[in-house]
Amino acid sequence: MVETSVEAMSNATLDGKSISSEDAYEQAAKILQAANFPLVAGLGADVAGAQAAILLAERLRGAFDHLASRDSLTDLEVVRSAGIFVTTPNEARVRADLALLVGSGLTGYWPAIFERLALDKETVHGGKTKRRVIWVGPKRGEAKIEGVEVETIPATEAELPGVLAALRARVGGRPTALSAAATKKLDAAAEALKSARFGVAVWAAAGLDSLMVEMLQGMITELNGTTRFTGVPIGGRSGATGVLQTSAWMTGFPPRTGFGRGYPEHDAWRFEARRLVESGEADAALWISAYDGEPPPWEDADIPVVTLGPPGAATKRGLFIAVGKPGENYDAVEFAQETSSMVLRRAKAPAELPTVAEAIAAISARFSEDLPC
Amino acid sequence: MLIRLRGGHVVDPVNGVDGVADIYFEDGRIVAPPPGREPDEDHDVSGHIVMAGAIDIHSHIAGGNVNSARLLLPEMHRSIRARLAGTPLSTAKWSTFETGRLYAQMGFTTVVEPAVAPHHALHAHLELGDVPIIDKGALTVLGNDDFLLGALREGESETAIADYVAQTVEATGTLGLKCINPGGADAFKQNMRAFGLDEIVPFYGVTSRQIFKSLQKATQTVGIPHPLHLHMNNLGIAGNIETALATIDAAEGLPMHLAHVQFYAYGVDGKNAFSSAAPALAAKINANKNITVDVGAVMFGDTVTISSDVLRQFNSLSGAIPKKGVIFDGDANGGGVVPYAYRISNYYNAIQWAAGLELFLLIDDPLQVFFTTDHPNGGPFTTYPELFALLMSAELRARWMERLPADVLEMTTLPSINREYSLYEIALMSRAGPARLYGFADRGRLDAGSIADIAVYKQQTDKAGMFRNAAYVFKDGELVVRDGSVTRYTKGKTLRVRPGYDRAIEKRLDAYYDQLYGLSRSIFDVPEAALAGRSRYAEVACRK
Ligand SMILES: [Zn+2]
Repeated sequence: MVETSVEAMSNATLDGKSISSEDAYEQAAKILQAANFPLVAGLGADVAGAQAAILLAERLRGAFDHLASRDSLTDLEVVRSAGIFVTTPNEARVRADLALLVGSGLTGYWPAIFERLALDKETVHGGKTKRRVIWVGPKRGEAKIEGVEVETIPATEAELPGVLAALRARVGGRPTALSAAATKKLDAAAEALKSARFGVAVWAAAGLDSLMVEMLQGMITELNGTTRFTGVPIGGRSGATGVLQTSAWMTGFPPRTGFGRGYPEHDAWRFEARRLVESGEADAALWISAYDGEPPPWEDADIPVVTLGPPGAATKRGLFIAVGKPGENYDAVEFAQETSSMVLRRAKAPAELPTVAEAIAAISARFSEDLPC
Repeated sequence: MLIRLRGGHVVDPVNGVDGVADIYFEDGRIVAPPPGREPDEDHDVSGHIVMAGAIDIHSHIAGGNVNSARLLLPEMHRSIRARLAGTPLSTAKWSTFETGRLYAQMGFTTVVEPAVAPHHALHAHLELGDVPIIDKGALTVLGNDDFLLGALREGESETAIADYVAQTVEATGTLGLKCINPGGADAFKQNMRAFGLDEIVPFYGVTSRQIFKSLQKATQTVGIPHPLHLHMNNLGIAGNIETALATIDAAEGLPMHLAHVQFYAYGVDGKNAFSSAAPALAAKINANKNITVDVGAVMFGDTVTISSDVLRQFNSLSGAIPKKGVIFDGDANGGGVVPYAYRISNYYNAIQWAAGLELFLLIDDPLQVFFTTDHPNGGPFTTYPELFALLMSAELRARWMERLPADVLEMTTLPSINREYSLYEIALMSRAGPARLYGFADRGRLDAGSIADIAVYKQQTDKAGMFRNAAYVFKDGELVVRDGSVTRYTKGKTLRVRPGYDRAIEKRLDAYYDQLYGLSRSIFDVPEAALAGRSRYAEVACRK
């Protein structure tokens, strides 16, 4: 017999057992309000969900983090220490006569990358030209783009930092520690970069570290001494860039920000979700992963955890409340990689599920009155 | 509920009022004294100045570039104190929430964000929606966009360009149009490092002059009340007074607003080849009544410059303090974020400070000049009270001038200027003028029917202190500030115009986006549904 009770339709579970939405929200409110230092983490959400989550963390004097903060912060560390040159994928599409692709796995981080950059087509703005495409450190067999002749500079993951450093050195006319043959190949690439009219470097922070991004940006700065060159960053998963932007205008800071003193303090180490849970500093957590139900990064939390995720992602332990997938089950604003801007995604498969913001509102509505606004 | 402000000194230039009077309001609007009715709430404001809420016509408070500045400079905005109940995030420095609180506390009730890129309009509106209390507006940036430049290259009709302008302003939900270094951002993408009024944008074959004149004309044609808001070429460069004078001539008598003109009031006199040319610029503005300007005054201190003039921002990177910046080549203008520190001991900075004050004091008509610091470019908006105080006291200015490098005083006429602004003139410049500039019929004034946005200041000799902490602020008739503190949030509105146009332009634009980007143009829409109740629009009427 198929279970069709209201209980089952409620899409909420406690330790794997179905409970009513009403009970779930009530419980969640109790758990979060009782905590001394609750954590709002995951934050895989649309902009409205992030707004609600950050306001919740602020009201509870807890902290918040995003599940892909590591990737956002990789780029951001470079911004904060040295600055950055960036453009949009669409501007690269219409103008870039040279694309420098950096690292492996780019299509994994952004499946539509080559459809958007249209490197097989001629440039449009500033005159029609065929593109030159150089890929540094692709995996074996990866450097294939339909209709494009890709030049490669081989580098394993371990070699990539050294190769980038050497390329930067050659752009600046400085010596490298590489062999004459390797240097010759890099010289040809460096020459190509310098003779580009409007070149773009494309990278995904998820595959690099800050030092590599800093090297890349240092090289871009040098290239701008004589020509135009800029970057196209590929953002982190689960709405990372949209949440980063939202967090910045709401608090002044990126995620990994805490409100223990009643005002925001940002510390990428102190307010990292996993550390807060494993160290016991956070005594309750709201884990949000509305896009794909990614599980939390911590081992064995012995603190109460409330999870907001898609219906299939119910947890065996703790409280689970199903929410819709942003932009899929409900209209949602998120940061679009293809335009590098906030956009409204219309629901393709509307569903009778709460949005992240609605679920948080339902929890907040059940806080007892002694929690001030 | 009928509320009365009793016995205050009312300064309301729109209605020629400058004296003790009572103000009544009810249901968010000012009303005539209702005969035979006692007020439900009565505030004794004797010893206080009563003005309409102030309107800031140009302040970079929201959008992608502003947000980049927040992320670039965490060290510049560490918070230090907890908020009051009922005002979430109001002490989070540089946040949208703090912005609303700080403006309200100074008696400001409407603020215009002047640089919204069409492809990033939704982002800007999301941020504006998170600015509490005050009403907001914005300007849409055109002038480095391929569609316009291509249309000019092809010699398209003025009607086509007017339709494009009207459609873009409507789609982006703003109060009008701004043009920032017309053609200069595109030229920079094509590796030009300087761009003057009559230089040609490669590939398009049009000049800066042609671009802004077409936008100026289109703005007039479609009836947008705010004239084209122009950020001229050559910002910040010694000798750029010539650019400013030539640009005013190029306006040919049609209405135009020039942004942050202090940054264009530079001559090449003196041993540093950098001097104030403010007197020449002020004289030109006095002689051209079609021109309005905001000053973009420099106030000493640490700040960050945020501008869609990406060419200029790239050139200023080398002088960044601290040494870092963001250079964003956008789909059209893009932007640059470069931190900077204005020092009273620095010759160039001191000239800039003096030139700003000269402009305020030498432009005769307060309705032609507005008090911006081009927040945060010349200094943060929180320095307005100090700025007002400087305008109101020659003696205060003299005290500041004593601290400037001695050679500065030979390169500015500031020491010879005795003019002191009256409160009436301050109200003209900060209330009446801005309302007129944006076509607000019911703001910046205190007669019956106007919105009950009211600022009440305790009269005192310390004018900066007076303007820093309003004694009372009412927004839409609700008390939101008492003794300089915001005690609760209200939700402001976002003001926009809806100019009419021939809908045929939409089909053309759809095809353009399909062809160029392989994307539906609708991806850049700013539907009200996306703002989810955080922003409510209010419409400002266009001229027929
Ligand atoms: Zn500005």
